[in-house]
Amino acid sequence: MSKNISHLSGREGKALEFNLFEEYGIVANEIGTVDKKKSEELAKHFLVGDANTFGATSFYDFLKEENKGKRAYVCNGSACLCAGTQNGVKEELSKHMKAEEIGHMTCLGRCHETGAFHLDGENYSAKSSEEIAQIFKDGERREDEYIVGSNCADPILTRDFPGVDKYYRLLEDCFAKGREVALEEMKLSGLRGRGGAGFPMGMKWEFCKNAEADQKFIVCNADEGDPGAYSDRYLLEKQVHSVLFGMMVGGFIIGADKGVLYIRAEYPESVRITEQAIEELKSAGWLGDNIKGSGFNFNFKVIKAAGAYICGEETALLSSIEGQRPEVRVRPPFPAQEGLFRKPTVVNNVETLASVHYILSKGGEHFKNIGRGRSTGTKLVCLDSFFNKPGLYEVEMGTPMSEVVNDLGGGFKQEVKAIQVGGPLGGIVPTTHIDKLSLDFESYAENGFLLGHAGVVSIPKDFPMVQYLEHLFEFTSVESCGKCFPCRLGSRRGWEMLEKARTEGFKIDRQLMDDLLEALEDGSLCALGGGLPLGIKNALKHFHEELSPYFTEPVTA
Amino acid sequence: MHKQISDIELAMIEKGELDLKVGYINDEAYTMTEGETVLSFVRRYFNMDEVPTLCDAPNLEAFGSCRVCSVEVALEKGGKRKTMASCHTPASEGMFIYTNSPKIQRLRKNLVELVLTDHPLDCLTCEVNGNCELQTVAAQVGIRDVRYPKGKTHLHYEKDMSHPYMTSDLSKCINCYRCVRACDEVQGQFVLSMAGRGFDNKIVKGSDVSFKDSDCVSCGACAQACPTSAISDIFQSKAINATETTRTVCTYCGVGCNLEVSSKNGEVLSIQAPYDAEVNQGHTCLKGRYAFKFYDHPERLRKPLIKKNGEFKEVEWDEAYDFIVNKLNKIKEEDGPDAIAGISSSRCTNEENYLMQKFIRAVVGTNNIDGCARVCHSPTALGMQRTFGTGAATNSIEDIKHTDMMMVIGANPTKAHPVTGAKLKQAAMKGTKLIVIDPYRTEIARYADFHLQLRPGTNVAVLNMMLYYIIMDELVDQKFVQNRTSGYDDFVKSIHHLDIEKLEKVSGVDRNLVREAAHAYATAPNAMSFHGLGVTEHSQGTFTVMQIAQLAMVTGNIGRPGVGVNPLRGQNNVQGSADMGVQPHQGAGYMDYTQPGITNIYEDYYGVDMPTKMGLKIPEMFDESIAGKLRAMWIIGEDVAQTDPNTQHVVKALSSLDILIVQELFMTETAKLADVVLPGASFLEKSGTFTNGERRIQRVNKVVDPVGDAKVDGQIIIDVMNRMGYAQPDYDAEGMLKEIAGIVPFFKGATWAGLAENGLQWPVAEDGTDTQILHEKEFKIGKGRFYYFDWRESEEVETHGKEYPFILTTVRELEHYNCGAMTRRTANVEILKEDFLVINPADAKAKNIADGDMVCMTSERGKVDVRARVSEDVKQGVLSSTFHFPDIMLNNITSNVSDSEAMCPEYKVVSVDIRKSKGVHKHQPTTALV
Repeated sequence: MSKNISHLSGREGKALEFNLFEEYGIVANEIGTVDKKKSEELAKHFLVGDANTFGATSFYDFLKEENKGKRAYVCNGSACLCAGTQNGVKEELSKHMKAEEIGHMTCLGRCHETGAFHLDGENYSAKSSEEIAQIFKDGERREDEYIVGSNCADPILTRDFPGVDKYYRLLEDCFAKGREVALEEMKLSGLRGRGGAGFPMGMKWEFCKNAEADQKFIVCNADEGDPGAYSDRYLLEKQVHSVLFGMMVGGFIIGADKGVLYIRAEYPESVRITEQAIEELKSAGWLGDNIKGSGFNFNFKVIKAAGAYICGEETALLSSIEGQRPEVRVRPPFPAQEGLFRKPTVVNNVETLASVHYILSKGGEHFKNIGRGRSTGTKLVCLDSFFNKPGLYEVEMGTPMSEVVNDLGGGFKQEVKAIQVGGPLGGIVPTTHIDKLSLDFESYAENGFLLGHAGVVSIPKDFPMVQYLEHLFEFTSVESCGKCFPCRLGSRRGWEMLEKARTEGFKIDRQLMDDLLEALEDGSLCALGGGLPLGIKNALKHFHEELSPYFTEPVTA
Repeated sequence: MHKQISDIELAMIEKGELDLKVGYINDEAYTMTEGETVLSFVRRYFNMDEVPTLCDAPNLEAFGSCRVCSVEVALEKGGKRKTMASCHTPASEGMFIYTNSPKIQRLRKNLVELVLTDHPLDCLTCEVNGNCELQTVAAQVGIRDVRYPKGKTHLHYEKDMSHPYMTSDLSKCINCYRCVRACDEVQGQFVLSMAGRGFDNKIVKGSDVSFKDSDCVSCGACAQACPTSAISDIFQSKAINATETTRTVCTYCGVGCNLEVSSKNGEVLSIQAPYDAEVNQGHTCLKGRYAFKFYDHPERLRKPLIKKNGEFKEVEWDEAYDFIVNKLNKIKEEDGPDAIAGISSSRCTNEENYLMQKFIRAVVGTNNIDGCARVCHSPTALGMQRTFGTGAATNSIEDIKHTDMMMVIGANPTKAHPVTGAKLKQAAMKGTKLIVIDPYRTEIARYADFHLQLRPGTNVAVLNMMLYYIIMDELVDQKFVQNRTSGYDDFVKSIHHLDIEKLEKVSGVDRNLVREAAHAYATAPNAMSFHGLGVTEHSQGTFTVMQIAQLAMVTGNIGRPGVGVNPLRGQNNVQGSADMGVQPHQGAGYMDYTQPGITNIYEDYYGVDMPTKMGLKIPEMFDESIAGKLRAMWIIGEDVAQTDPNTQHVVKALSSLDILIVQELFMTETAKLADVVLPGASFLEKSGTFTNGERRIQRVNKVVDPVGDAKVDGQIIIDVMNRMGYAQPDYDAEGMLKEIAGIVPFFKGATWAGLAENGLQWPVAEDGTDTQILHEKEFKIGKGRFYYFDWRESEEVETHGKEYPFILTTVRELEHYNCGAMTRRTANVEILKEDFLVINPADAKAKNIADGDMVCMTSERGKVDVRARVSEDVKQGVLSSTFHFPDIMLNNITSNVSDSEAMCPEYKVVSVDIRKSKGVHKHQPTTALV
């Protein structure tokens, strides 16, 4: 986090036209990594140090030297891990290429079918060696298929798209009524951020609107890195205009003329479709200067990420766009005060933005009455391959969890002992607790879990919980930005102890584990280190019997 | 020390009778300041240990990585407590802060235990043992053992000992980023970064190269910032070997960095920069921090020397004094006092400079006293006196924080004034507008909004264009001009007649660019200018200074924070030497001694008759010497033979004298020509005061005794004064300052005790109040004055431009100081070994010169061979070089032309020609000095 580099990277207001981070990607696309020569050229151009561009590029999976020459990446996300597909895929791929050409990606968003891998820039999932052989043979891209369902009378996020002009007409209405009116509707709706923290969106927009600056930005956080979630991917690939529309309204309200979509590189299709949609909007006259005579200027920029989970954290994401190392920034200042290039910035999650059109067309009051209590609106839920009906479902907030699991998901294919909801930083819910939960922020929090983005990963009965916990620590350790001490060191030490316990009969000092979890939870700078303990603590509590052989006796306080 | 709020005060606050913000630390009430963090709030009332930290540092922004500073916070008494990192959590009214609850104690201990899982346990043999922040915090939180099983570590990282000063041992790194942030936030160099991700994060230099191969400028900010010994220096500055630390002021440039010198048994061990220094806030450059080993270099002069039969012989002080006194008395008897002259040194203290001019005036009886300001900022002093009445910076460096626009003219501050340069660069990087007017693409020019890369010698042309556009485009601050200036109407008439097309052509700067820059300067709410020798060392140097002053006046940029005219003074005490009267036309305190009333003041104070005949300026001294009229010169600490222009002329002048007395640290080129050489003392060996470029008088404190038989320079002068019949008490800084305060009006309230740690900016009123900003209400001369000047081609170019088509402009490098007598005797010479000539690639190609080739450069005066560095930093037709090294002797080719008003030599415009050297592959020491 360097204020100087933020400014240097954003000099002259042209930072999105010739963007340092994007340049890294272009170079890596050509030669497989960002070599020192190119890195130093870019440093010189942006007046920063060689160390800065070297330090930044060495952070990302798809830029760093070590991954040069990798052709295929096998998904090592939680769902593929639990489904046990990774070894088979890897084995099969290695028949077609050298072992060093195969790497790992964490979650391609194909948790509904698993067996996912990335090959030469495209995503696939395969159940059998024949399928993989076929891919190599015909080289054709194969779209994945999943159920898109809903139990809502009037779906918001999964409704049909009526066509650009019909859809965007609402924008003109919005221009006519003015930004205050639109903001009031948004505030009235009670819509809360779907990225995990659940912060009221209207309030965030209002903060940014009130900030004084010559330039502001609205950024869509489409770095959906959590294993188990593919709802953002769905929205970008199937409902992209709902996201773009939401950003334009946000830009109109806060006074931003630039919208940046930061989309993870693991979703090449999402990037393509979003870019196409922007072109479509442009040619229909819905972008540029003085849109439809309103006096409002707006343009989009798509930034393709480069493989780093932490970029889903909003301040790391902003640093990433600036070409800095995506390390979490301290708050304050909040992005609404000092965000992208140190200008006031709103960062919204994809799914949050996707509700804006509905709110403005039906009114905030109407939206507020959907859902349960302070959890208004609907929520997308992603179910993994252990369900009989894997797929993506839109449900009203407050829907009983049993309805989601049993009715919509059709129950489990095989015996599952727990589900992890909300990604690797979410809670681990024993299947016995599903009946106690309803799908909303409050119910999850009250029961000691976390709704998050409501992606569901199933942990089958025969999958050792100790291995799952090791996976969570490993994931955090591999993805930690390394800035704060507890996360950088603690996730590694936790991983090491669990691995030792699983493979060498080592017994973990229970007091030490408790101390470690407390240090992570209370000490971490962001939700990565801070969120990891929740699932671990859930498991230690609810799967005490299974886990106790790996630990010394708990020390009583 | 706990300044709690009393119950009565608390009751008054509650009733609204007392307007204070209250927060609670461990359930006791304290007042908090607007906008402060919880950490600063707590530390204001408790000692530093109350909340330990690892990633926090006094001169860095809150970063939040170590989390050791965490505290518990509740929004109401008994409310739910949340753990927050105090370094980046704002303190808010009514907050309840718990600094050491059991939960917090546990958290800190658990965090430090994690750190120790990846840290060598070799404290006893570590260079920072006893002064390691990790060690201190670990002891404080009570770590007894590390409970984790052995895991992956980074203890295998190898040391980097490649650099002459900087070292690293990343096995000791705790990943606090303090070095990275220091390099970024303090120096702005971006040499360091973290690389990799997560647990494998590692500090890198450049693209993971060694310190030596990186762009490191050796400022040492990272080493000072590092809490362990992961980054350090060859002096092991953080080790606790020293028995004494002494605060003093740097001897190099006019920034005036405060230094903290560690010493033991009379030996200097290392230097750090104090964080509480108002001038430099914990920062300094490689000269200030590391280039001190010259002080006990084997080549230091340790005994007085008298030249006998062409050879120097060591003598005792008495013999040297007798020799000098006899000679001076004889010459005075024969030809009168005006046959004697002195050049004092801006390296010396105010007290010593005061003594030297007093000696020349009151004891010898002549006004032939001058100093190095003659060859650097004499046009600044004169030009600003003419327009404002005071020849000194109007504002303070601190004002960079308050300005919206910085205009840097003819200065390369990141090299010549590194700490101020870093501040300018920091501001420019964060968006403060910057105009650079310079023929050279300096480092800060890269960060500039406008770089007017003019041909050397056309400053007046470009500044007239700026004035033209400001006036024609009606951007003048009419109110300021009306109320506070005179002569504007005539000035405007002349400006109206300017031939912009011609000025554009001669300067080579696009008029639209000049216009945009002029608009940006004029429309900025607060605009501040800085200038250096690229302004003064010209035949129109004084005029240029006056134009800069006039730009400030037409736009009303005078008399408030963030504005003004701010010369970047060259030597550590060049401001002070002029203040003390080291100049032929004014006595101590800039008083005109030719006015009878003033003569009396000096006569009363010194108790002798005072000379009233105008004294000689340095170039005149040389001319008079060659003419046989000047017979004796006493030069202190200035190597005129190497650094003054046209070497042959200078050498001839010095050789023509009956006696040349040189008081020096080393056998410089000038000292070699002397009849008597007196060993003086370095800044580490004496006390006194230096006045920096922002008029700040600061205390210099002796750290060690002078080497050998060397003496404090002031004492040498006093010894001779006494022997020539003038009773002057022995040198004592405090006493001398008292004498100065009695005669120099703007030193009136300056006392040794009153100067304290951070000094005072003159004028200092009798009650000790100092002055950050001059001319707030009115100018020293009442109204500021406008004068118009036409641009004129330099005589050098007019006369020799055809035959010698290139223009050489001389510059400085970061690593060396002027003649290099000091810096060449430190490890700085390992970083920069020689002078080089910067040539534009097109010119190099046309002359068949490749990077690294030796180039033969000729002028009307002579020739030198110097190594080429091909670079686009200069435009075609322009060359630039330094004169730090005597083996090149670049001043063999510089000219005699000087500023029409102040006689400052025109180092910046030399007509030369170049060709590839024939058969010369390395330095060929010139023989001009035989």
